[in-house]
Amino acid sequence: MAVVTHAADAVVAAPTPVSLPTPGAPGVYVHVPFCAHRCDYCDFAVTTGADALARRRSVAALPRELATVAAAGPAAVAPRGAAGVLAAPDGAADIAGWPVFGSVFVGGGTPTLLDADDLAGVVRAVATALPLAGDAEITVEANPETVIAESLATLVAAGVTRLSLGAQSFSPSVLATLGRRHDVSSVASAVTAARAAGVAQVSVDLIYGTPGERDADWHASLRQAVGLGVDHVSCYALTVEANTPFAARVRRGEVPDIDEDVQARRMATADAVLAAAGLRRYEVSNWARPGAESAHNRTYWRGGDWLALGASSHGHWQGRRWWNVRPTGRYLAAVEAGGAPVAGAEVLTAEQRRTERLLTGLRTVDGVPRAAVTPVDEAQIGALVRAGLLVDDAARLRLTPAGLPLADGIALRLLPARERC
Amino acid sequence: MTYPIERIRNFAIIAHVDHGKSTLADRMLQATKLVDARDMREQYLDRMDIERERGITIKAQAVRMPYEASDGSEYLLNLIDTPGHVDFSYEVSRAMNACEGAILLVDAAQGVQAQTVANLYVAIEAGLEVVPVLNKIDLPAARPEEVAEEVAALLGGDPADILAVSAKTGQGVPEVLERIVAHVPAPRGDVDGPPRGLVFDSVFDPYRGVITFVRIIDGILRPDTHIRLMATGFHNGIDELGVISPEPRPVDALGPGEVGYFTAAIKAVELAKVGDTVTDHVRPAPQPLPGYREPTPMVFSGLYPVDSADFPDLRDALEKLRLNDASFTFEPETSVALGFGFRCGFLGLLHMEIISERLDREFDIPLVTTAPNVAYEVHLDERTLKPNEPRVVTVSNPAELPAPNRIDHLLEPVVDAMVLCPSEYVGAVMQLCERRRGELAKMDYLSEQRVELRYTLPLGEIIFDFFDRLKSSTRGYASLDYEPAGMRRSKLVKVDILLNGEPVDAFSAIVHADKSYEYGKAMVSKLRELIPRQLFDVPIQAAIGGKIISRETVKARRKDVLAKCYGGDITRKRKLLERQKEGKKRMKSVGAVEIPQEAFVAALSVGGD
Ligand SMILES: Nc1nc2c(ncn2[C@@H]2O[C@H](COP(=O)(O)OP(=O)(O)O)[C@@H](O)[C@H]2O)c(=O)[nH]1
Ligand SMILES: C[S@@+](CC[C@H](N)C(=O)[O-])C[C@H]1O[C@@H](n2cnc3c(N)ncnc32)[C@H](O)[C@@H]1O
Ligand code: SF4
Ligand SMILES: [Mg+2]
Repeated sequence: MAVVTHAADAVVAAPTPVSLPTPGAPGVYVHVPFCAHRCDYCDFAVTTGADALARRRSVAALPRELATVAAAGPAAVAPRGAAGVLAAPDGAADIAGWPVFGSVFVGGGTPTLLDADDLAGVVRAVATALPLAGDAEITVEANPETVIAESLATLVAAGVTRLSLGAQSFSPSVLATLGRRHDVSSVASAVTAARAAGVAQVSVDLIYGTPGERDADWHASLRQAVGLGVDHVSCYALTVEANTPFAARVRRGEVPDIDEDVQARRMATADAVLAAAGLRRYEVSNWARPGAESAHNRTYWRGGDWLALGASSHGHWQGRRWWNVRPTGRYLAAVEAGGAPVAGAEVLTAEQRRTERLLTGLRTVDGVPRAAVTPVDEAQIGALVRAGLLVDDAARLRLTPAGLPLADGIALRLLPARERC
Repeated sequence: MTYPIERIRNFAIIAHVDHGKSTLADRMLQATKLVDARDMREQYLDRMDIERERGITIKAQAVRMPYEASDGSEYLLNLIDTPGHVDFSYEVSRAMNACEGAILLVDAAQGVQAQTVANLYVAIEAGLEVVPVLNKIDLPAARPEEVAEEVAALLGGDPADILAVSAKTGQGVPEVLERIVAHVPAPRGDVDGPPRGLVFDSVFDPYRGVITFVRIIDGILRPDTHIRLMATGFHNGIDELGVISPEPRPVDALGPGEVGYFTAAIKAVELAKVGDTVTDHVRPAPQPLPGYREPTPMVFSGLYPVDSADFPDLRDALEKLRLNDASFTFEPETSVALGFGFRCGFLGLLHMEIISERLDREFDIPLVTTAPNVAYEVHLDERTLKPNEPRVVTVSNPAELPAPNRIDHLLEPVVDAMVLCPSEYVGAVMQLCERRRGELAKMDYLSEQRVELRYTLPLGEIIFDFFDRLKSSTRGYASLDYEPAGMRRSKLVKVDILLNGEPVDAFSAIVHADKSYEYGKAMVSKLRELIPRQLFDVPIQAAIGGKIISRETVKARRKDVLAKCYGGDITRKRKLLERQKEGKKRMKSVGAVEIPQEAFVAALSVGGD
């Protein structure tokens, strides 16, 4: 049962034994845009070369933005005329009308480039401004080389329950191709430090299908990740994003383009190695020890609600999406001027909502309730089932292991014929 | 008041494409002071968007230019700008029949080309006085002496007498006007007889109905004439009688020799076709002018809406286009693979392209167009005839070719083709023509460097990429022109294509038996390239009479999911999907296979060789 914790308790709250928060509880995403340098493949909203002042401004701006959002209440983020507040199952809601939040995710960028005290302050600010479940999942994303024991203790004291480490690969040559600057050994040190500091759950991110990576490299990376005893692994297929140095190298023919067949094979290897280590796949790119699935990510895939703070962050509340301005400077200026840093918003039509549910829901192994996506092109279902890509059990549509890597194409096929044309 | 006939000069400009016909016309508009520099725009007479963008003339246009000649009198020069492409050769011949003279315009750098010669023959056949003119003498690459020799070799006469101009700078243009006045004969006609006018073009206008362009031969048309078009029988009172000079302007009479237009609430160009004769309904001419011909489509293609729900819209669109263009035909047909659509007939490939482009531009209906084909005459085996079945049938859709055992023999359309090329490419051209089943009829040296080759070629071979191959094997130096030359018996077979084991009728093609294996193989591998990988393996096969001759497989896609972490930015992902959805508009689902539109014309690039 979720318990409403407010600021006072949050400070003293020791990391509670992790259980999954109430399904459907909303989340909070906080973006910290700083990185020491930009990796060649990355197109996330990232600022490099920021000085201490910019970081300080950010640390001040986030709680300020948060306070404004919190005070305005859910009516300000929901579509106009939405059916009031989605109350948590136990009916708890705070003064501004917020339901209890089940997760916080501080992502980046590299949040751990902030001073540990500042970062801890941001986490506390969330717990101060919004009602958080006592067993809320609170994740901080970190680059391995930025993780040190003392800072971890500070974060844990602030309530952080989960650390997501960007390991990317355990092959030095792959790391070099990706333009990563950490060395392989720093991942193990970071995991050890996190455990010692009492971080309840540790996850690593891996990237596969990098040009030059061999099957054996990938296999070895997986084995090493598993060997560290992490609770959760995210394996992402390398995506060549337009306007990145990596894309330019591909365009100039310096590195070969992505081979989707190779990526498919790597994905299957990941599933086999991780499953053998007791990590169960729960989404296209995510594997976890049973019970250690990320509540926050699940919110995205289930069409749940989350608030968004920080430059470039995207939020969703009951069918309305909005997003903050992307450049860090513009974000800071907007908040410091006392305004909202929101760049845009859209209220989804019923059809768009169904499309998104299908698109995100099919990525999870549990699939998507039929009721949430109807109408779909029934004529396609039979063929997909016969081809061994889809399971249709009347209540849910769900992809098989062969279907998961094809989730996008399948979603496209399932969209009702008239919408498709 | 009609214009004194002895001071009228009607002429056309004939030229190979890009030799400067439109530019010279522009200069004439200026030299006669009809348009001053301020109002000048390039290609003044080309009015359709497609004409301006592609720099081609599709419609004939007539412009009346009063001109004060050096002898001190005013003359009326009527320039009739003809289309320059083989597809429209009948329209060209009618436009020339509306003239007494023609300027044969030749690019002084490029020299005589196939269209120059072909158009010249049409002009001579129409009895026109030909005034040769060399153009582009401002170009450094111009070789006026040599080209003058070439032209003189064709026409006779002294090369030194040939005028040389730059249509770009206007140099020499006044001399051309003087030469027209001096050399082109004045028209002749019977002013008192019942009116007879030759329709050389008609254009649909949504507000006024069809605007019909005529050259008056005999009699007088007046704004109150009740006209009759003799071939179609349409008759009605004239709404407006006018001339283009250079904008439309009403006149109170058009007499013998004059060129102008009328409107008469004509709802479709079909009622006022090129070649028809306009007369007075009350006092009709006893005989129409000679030479009228129904337009005959030569090239056929299936047009299908990607979304079958668009079928009625497609029909409306085709009907609207037909108001504009009486020379294409369409008939509903069904395809197992593509559903309901139309079999359309065109004058040629360019005509087909123009119609598809207009459909796309003006109506925005996603379409699948099947590879073009010609119409075959199928002689059925007497023993297999069903009661009342005709022995000879015309097949304009390859999928409808009767089974091999029912066919006694087949005829296919052939053309007389003329290729002009520099002598060093003769070998390459002959090789290409022979691969395309051509029979050499004649070979002439126009000069030491220029050769004229004449071949009888199956039209079906020409529509498969012949022109591009000709250009690429002669580094762009060869030019081509052709005209229909009846039907010829040939050993032809139907090659079918199967996807997922199911025949896709829209891919069927009729090809020569000797090349059918090669064609089937090439087509299968081309389709394998063009059909994107799908969620399932897609076997592609070619078959002749049920026997598989080639097989390849489009391997199933194994991963397509965006497997990167995208945080909460789902909008971006949805937009990506929406873009893909857009992409699907260009795909046709046949069974479970999604086929891009280009695949249906794949045959074009694998035909022949
Ligand atoms: N240099 C030069 N270019 C010319 C001359 N006449 C036409 N052109 C160019 O040749 C191209 C084709 O001319 P255009 O009048 O459209 O040819 P058409 O296809 O016969 O109507 C255009 O780019 C013209 O600008 C000329 O006398 N000198
Ligand atoms: C939002 S990023 C930030 C993580 C952290 N800054 C780091 O790099 O360690 C989260 C994860 O996305 C993945 N990622 C980023 N760009 C990617 C790309 N172009 N293709 C595939 N995965 C990518 C990486 O695995 C990365 O760890
Ligand atoms: S460290 Fe992470 S967020 Fe920063 S540039 Fe690299 S991948 Fe992107
Ligand atoms: Mg032109």
